[in-house]
Amino acid sequence: MSEHTTSATTRPSTRKRYKRIAYGLLGAGILALWIGIALDRFVLGVALYWTGGLGMGLVQRFSPVELYDERDTTIEREAGHYTMKLFAYVFILGTPGGLALQESGVLTLPGEFYGAMWTLFAVFVAYGAFVIYHKYRL
Amino acid sequence: MRNDIPDRRAETDESQADLAAAVGVTRQTINAIERERYDPSLDLAFKLAAHFDCRIEDIFDPDE
Repeated sequence: MSEHTTSATTRPSTRKRYKRIAYGLLGAGILALWIGIALDRFVLGVALYWTGGLGMGLVQRFSPVELYDERDTTIEREAGHYTMKLFAYVFILGTPGGLALQESGVLTLPGEFYGAMWTLFAVFVAYGAFVIYHKYRL
Repeated sequence: MRNDIPDRRAETDESQADLAAAVGVTRQTINAIERERYDPSLDLAFKLAAHFDCRIEDIFDPDE
């Protein structure tokens, strides 16, 4: 067997610890936001939330270990793929379906419906842009 | 993909965690490879081959 040195910083336990710190910071930020909203200190809550998010990003960026390996990346890619598929079904079927129901007088669509559909449309525009960008890169 | 990583680990008395640390992935990734639920990247396959001092095709068998 070839010789391999294992630095302490590449040990799974170290990776786990840094992941916990990163997610802990984000969790603390979310908790602070909720508390801020509950106590009517919205600006402070948002500031703490952003601080938590920034802390998470800094830990991920500067931790001495790689927090995610290739399987994590594959899992995220698969999850993203199925999420986009779900969004596509909701958007493709939901938009004309909802409009048809409204036009036929079956129901009156709330404003949130249009907001949701425009949001999904924006998601697909962004997705398409990234697909085109990466198509020319790879 | 079928592989003999568990046998090789047994020969060298290594745990999944030891191997994971040596090639820079999580123990769960090694477990998934051994259970043939995840195919490693070429980069990781080379690292595993280097670790066990053999060729990639000695570890992995794509035909089975």
